[in-house]
This record gives sequence, C-alpha cells and structure tokens, in this order.
Amino acid sequence: MIDIKKTLTLILILSLFSTLFSLTYAADDELIVFSGRKDTFVKPVVKAFTKKTGIKVLLHTAESTALLNKLRLEKSATQADLFLSNDAGNLQLGSQMGLFRPINNALSELIPEQYRATDNRWLGLSARARVLVVNTDRVKNENEFDSVFDLAKPSLKGQIAITNSTNESYIAGVTVYLKATNRTRVKHWLEGLKANTESNVFAKHSHIVTAVARGRKTVGLVNHYYIYRHLAQHPDAPIAIVMPDQGDNAMGVAWNVAGVAISKYSKKQPLAERFVEFLVSVEGQKLFAETNDEYPVRSGVAAAQAIPPAASYKIANVPMVELGRYRNETIDLLEEVGMP
Amino acid sequence: MIGTGIRGIAGRITPKFGVLGWIVGWVVALAAIPSLFVLYSSAQLSWTEWLNLGSTRLPGLLWNTLLLAMLVAIGCFALGVSTAWLVARRKFAGRKLAIWLLVLPLAIPTYVFAHIYSSMLTEEGWLGLTWIFFFGHTIDIPDIYNAVGVAVILSLAGFSYVFLLVRAALLRSNRRLEEAARIHGASPLQTFRRINLPLLRPAIAAGLAVVVLHVLSDFGAVSMLRYQTFTLSIYSQMSGRFDYNAAAGLSLVLLALSLTFLALERFFRSKQRYYSSAQAQIVKAKPASQAELWLIWIWIGLVSLFAFVLPVTWMCVWSWEAWAADYITAEFWGYVFNSGVVSFTAATLAIILAFPIALYHARHPSISSHTFLHVANMGFALPGPVVALGVITFMLSVMPALYGGLAALIMAVVVRFLPLAIQAQEASMQQLTPSLEQAGRILGAGPFENLWRVTLPMVRGGLVSAWVLVFIDVLKELPATLLLRPVGFDTLPVRIWLEASEEMLELAAPAALILVIGTCPAIWVMMRSEKIK
Repeated sequence: MIDIKKTLTLILILSLFSTLFSLTYAADDELIVFSGRKDTFVKPVVKAFTKKTGIKVLLHTAESTALLNKLRLEKSATQADLFLSNDAGNLQLGSQMGLFRPINNALSELIPEQYRATDNRWLGLSARARVLVVNTDRVKNENEFDSVFDLAKPSLKGQIAITNSTNESYIAGVTVYLKATNRTRVKHWLEGLKANTESNVFAKHSHIVTAVARGRKTVGLVNHYYIYRHLAQHPDAPIAIVMPDQGDNAMGVAWNVAGVAISKYSKKQPLAERFVEFLVSVEGQKLFAETNDEYPVRSGVAAAQAIPPAASYKIANVPMVELGRYRNETIDLLEEVGMP
Repeated sequence: MIGTGIRGIAGRITPKFGVLGWIVGWVVALAAIPSLFVLYSSAQLSWTEWLNLGSTRLPGLLWNTLLLAMLVAIGCFALGVSTAWLVARRKFAGRKLAIWLLVLPLAIPTYVFAHIYSSMLTEEGWLGLTWIFFFGHTIDIPDIYNAVGVAVILSLAGFSYVFLLVRAALLRSNRRLEEAARIHGASPLQTFRRINLPLLRPAIAAGLAVVVLHVLSDFGAVSMLRYQTFTLSIYSQMSGRFDYNAAAGLSLVLLALSLTFLALERFFRSKQRYYSSAQAQIVKAKPASQAELWLIWIWIGLVSLFAFVLPVTWMCVWSWEAWAADYITAEFWGYVFNSGVVSFTAATLAIILAFPIALYHARHPSISSHTFLHVANMGFALPGPVVALGVITFMLSVMPALYGGLAALIMAVVVRFLPLAIQAQEASMQQLTPSLEQAGRILGAGPFENLWRVTLPMVRGGLVSAWVLVFIDVLKELPATLLLRPVGFDTLPVRIWLEASEEMLELAAPAALILVIGTCPAIWVMMRSEKIK
C-alpha cells in the first residue's frame, strides 16, 4: 500500500542527509590554523608560506578565546594543527591547559626569552605597545602626561578615553601594570580611572583615536598601531603618540605579543613546524608584523618606518607568560572595582 | 457492541500510540540535551559560588536584561500595533507595498542592524553627517552603546512579529462590536482603546512574547554594542574565564526567567479568550482621505526608512564598492552556498522532527504530551553559545565519529529552532478534525497511507510556514555557528561577524545583502500561505 515513489524519495533525502553529515572540509595534506588574528593580517603571511613551500593552509578564524574553548573541549578530536592568537594571555592559558606541545629549541631560541613560554609551548611573533594618544590642540605641554597613572588625576574628569574592561588588550595592559608595580597602586588607579570615565567607555580602540582626534576627549589609552591607522587615513589629524612611564624609576611601556602554538594533537607536526619556521624567519617576521605596524619580536628584524623604534624607549620588564598566569586575578580586580 | 466498534476504529486512526510516543520521546530527549547540560554543570556550583554570583553579577544582569526587554516590548508595541492598525483599517494607495516594507525587516539580523547603525552614526557615517549638518558639533551624535540604543535596534529588528500577528487579528475581528461602540457615541480613539485593544490582547501578547524571547537570547546585537545582558555575560564567563559552571548557572537563571515569562503570557492569554459568532462580519477597511493618506505614509515611511530602506541602501552602496574593488570572489559564493546548505538541511530536519511531537500533542493531549512540548520548547530560551557547548560535549562523549563535520552544527540549530517548527505545525493540526482521518481509515487506508494522503496534505500550510520560519532563523543564526561550524566552513553570518569586527564595511555589506535577498523568497512563501488562510 505504501507509495513506492514516496518511499524512494524518503530514502534519497535520508542518504543526502547522511552524506552531508559526514562531510568534512579539510584535505589531508592541509595545515589547519585556528586563528584569532584578523584575516586580513594573516592571509598575506599564509600566501607567502604556501608559495614558498607548496604546503596548503586552511584558516579557521574566530575570536581567540572562542577558539581556545573549542580546542579545550575537542581535546584529541581537534582538527587544528596550529593556534594563532593576538594575546599572549590566551597562548599561556592554552599551554597551562595542556593543549600545546613544545616547539623545538632551534626555532624557539630565535625569539627572546621574555616573549615566549618558558617551556616553548608557544612563541611570540609580533608586539604591540600600550601607549597614550593625545589631542595636540588641547595638550600644549607634551610632558603633561608621562605615565598611564596620570589618567586617574581628578583634573581629567570626562576627558579620558578607554575601552570597556572586557577588551583583551586592556586586560593584558592592566596585568603588566600589576606585575610591574603593585596591587594597591593599580586598584587605586582603576578607581580614579573609573571616576574619570563618567561611565562612558568605548567599544573599540579605533573609536578612542577618533574621539581624541575630534577633540571630544583629551587623552586615550590604546595600542600604538591604532594611531598610525588613523593617521594613514587622516594625515592632518591633531593627534600624537606619547610613550608613557619613561622616567628612571618608571615601569616602562606595557607590551603584549601575538604568537603561535602547535596543537598537542596535531598529526602533522613536521608540517606545522615548517609553518612556525617560516613565521620566525626574517622574511616571515617582517611580513607578520608589518601588515599591522607591529614590532617583529625576533631581534635584528626592523619594524615599519612610521612607528617609534623599539630601542628608543623603555619597555616594562614583565615576561609575557605572566599575562596568562595572572589574567584571572586581573579580571577579579576589574570586577571588584566595577570597571565599566 | 457499537461502542466498542467505534472505540476500535478510533484506536486505529493514528499510528499506534506506543510507536508515536516512543518516537516523540527520542526526539525530545535529543532536544533536551543542552538543558540537561545546563542542569548538570550548574549542579557543580557550590553554595558559595552561587552566593558569589548572586551578590556580584545577578542584580546588574537582571536589571539590564529586564530593562532591555521592557524597552523593546514598548518599542515593538508602538511600531507594530500602530502600523498594523493603519494597514488593516484604511485603504490607501500603496498598501501592499507598505505591508511588504513592514515585514521585510525580518530579513535583517540584529547584529547587522547594530553594525550598520553603529557605523552610520560615526562622524563619517551618513547619519552622523546628517546630524552634524543639522545640529553642528554642539550636540553630540547619539550614542547607541547603551540600553536605549540597543532597545531601538532590537525594536526595529523585531516589531514585524507584532505587526504580522496584530494585523491578522484585526482582519479577523468582528465589525459589529466596533459599530456598536460608535453608535453609542464612542470616539474612534475610545473605540480603539476599549474595543480593539482588549480584543487584540492575545495577538499583541503573542507578538511581544516572540519579541521578548528574541531579546533574552539575542547575542549578536548586544555583543556588538557591548550591552551586558545574561546572554552576553554567559558568553564572557565561557570565553574569558573558561568557567563553564558559572556560565551554566547564569543560563539556569535565564532559563527560569524565560519560562516564567512564557507561563505568565499563557496565563494571561488563557484568561482572555474571545469568540466571534458564525455570522461575524469582517471589518472592511475605510478608504483613506487625502490628509490621512499623507499622515499614513509619513508614519509608515518613517518606520520603514529606519527599519529597512536605510539599512538596505547602506548594504547596496557598500556592496557596490566591494564589487568595484573585486572583493566578491569565488570564496564569497562559497559562503553563500554554505549558508544555504545549513539552513536548508536544518529547516527540513526540523519539520520532520517536529511533526511527531505536534501530532502526538494534537491527537493525544495528556500530561506526557505537555511535558514533551515544554521540554522541546526549552531550546528557544537557551542562549546559542550554551546550546553549542552542550552539543559539543554530548557529541564528543557519545558519538565522536560524527564530530568534525556538519552534524554538530545542524544538531545545535535544529535543537534551537525546533520550538518554532512545533508551534507552527501544532496550530495547523488543531484545525484538522480527526473525523477526516477516521474516514480515510474506514475507506481502507493503512496508517502510513493515511498519513501521506490525508494528514500531510491537510497540514501542508503549517509545514510550509514552519519550514520557512526555521529556514530564516537558521540563515541568521550566529553564536552556535561561530563555535560549531566545521573547520574552514564559513557562512554569511560568520563572515559578517568577522568583517564587522575588523570594521571592513565593504566586506560585511555584500554578505548582509545576500542574507536579505535569500530571506525574501521565504517571506514571500509565508505571506502567500497567510493569504490563502
């Protein structure tokens, strides 16, 4: 009694589903990179690598933390061979969760010690500086701001621009200040900062630079490249970069690095190491950093012309692994103060 | 003798109770996985951790979330009811166009609204420039990174649900009641307030319920505009601290909130039931006077300008830039294909899975059928990231072989949107009298033939609208897709998300435009099936 045609259709639909369900999208000889860095910055590097080695790379882009969650949940079922992140904190947390495997010494030693994991489970690749951007029409005396701690001065009420406290660069910066000074001082600073923002914080660093350029705010706390990105589009904008905390006893500028790690469960370790080898090579270093006006971490590789040379200012002496180790403490402090 | 005979036939009109019950049980068990995951994980929280959550996060989140829900409900009520009344009660030039313009915002996802408005309101954006033209720099451009801003965005994105339901109710309502009120000297406004509004209450309640549920589970807009609601906070607990238990704890509170809200809505609706007599005369729309015509189009034009015309124009302009700059590559069409595959598969699977649940509830209403229905509905109240987390955990521990392909993603979106499919099908099944099926069986059809030849054709309308609703929502789905898509498998929402976070307007616009275009045929099908009814 059952209609044969309809049964056949049903079977056809079911078999279509089952093929759809078992489909996977990566070829066997392809390296799979979970990337938390912007596609536009990573693609040129990947292209150059593929051109040089013939090894194909599949980029799977999302937020760093989301990808770390995925790696953590998937464990040995993961397809990822490598993990790229814009934040040393994420890389360090990943190694603490046991998701990565050590990278061989020959490659690791090309990167200075403070910019990689102590056990070489991740390597830093490019660095960004946490700096101040000031409006040059409103700030006549360049020495008016010589420390990020100045942002908490009551005289700056309503004049400072910072991001909301869930931003990973912001959290990393606060962690550096915590390690370079002490908790009491940073807590006190955050409270002043909170009062000065008048609960008006920014969703994006680019918005901060625009607000300062338009004179709506006097000073902002940003990663250095946002200033150069804005100047590239508006060369006449009245803004200037200030490298904070440069005095003899001052802590120096906070850095954070983007970096790479090899998944512990990668079945293509030799290929993955070749990718890392390319990233730490002089060519790879240059390419990786210059797409975003960052500092190549490997010593001897020059950064883009526009930005202040790394040797020209003092950098806070806090190893990048601390960004992962102390991230939860930083978040606790931010929540305790109630930063917006 | 006769009694048992009839009971014997009645017992056989549907596939055996037991079989259907079992099928439904399995489907519901599948749908319950994320909820079970939430229960299990939040059970791991100790009392001190609960107290900690309660004293630090909960009060602020409750306030933020409820405030937003209330503002959006007010916004959608104002926009949806006013436009529905105008369209249903006045005949005017371009009425069909107006209806389309008021339904089409459904095609634009909330995160696209948020992205477009936040970039239009910068000092280089269209609205920003217009603002400066009128007000100069003396008054700051309105900031949408706050409760009111998010509420405006979500109202523009959601008022169409209220519009559709209220319009349908207005078209059904009885003219005589309104006439009686007018004869007794009530002004048009009084008539509206004292006759129409009470009669419309069920439709308004249903529309607002859909809207509020969308607000509670919205991830895209609130995370783009950084407004801390439950869903966003759950996501930050998961992704910032890797604290799944706290995330689950917050989800449990959110789930309780949604279910309370739904129960309240049902309670108020059940107390407000109106019946119209068989000879009810449908209200005829009055032709609009010249002045009215102007007013109507100013209002509807204003609403649709901000809810549809402006965003779509923005998309077109930036897509044109992208086209001119050769950004539309083969990769882009790959994203379009991927989106289509996922939405098509998920919508088809969802209506197949929802069918037994709806049929069981319509044919054998009982405590167990109610329980099944409520459990299956919970997916809608859970935030996408949590559903994704539950599905990953389940798949990796129970069927790891299927992990890595599309299965996990499809399972998650089906679980999330199953309630939509069930509701649409249930509605059409309740109108189906069992006597038709009985007739089929008496005439010798087996249970399956009966299903194919009697039941299915009769509920076809419900199946179509269920498919369309699920298709649209899967096409727009973001948070679960972000986490569960197979490696290298990007869909349109994922690309919009990635490009928008890089502030690449030219790249986000074409994806958004295709999303809108792709949704249009689905909306057309829905509108058509409504007209047939």
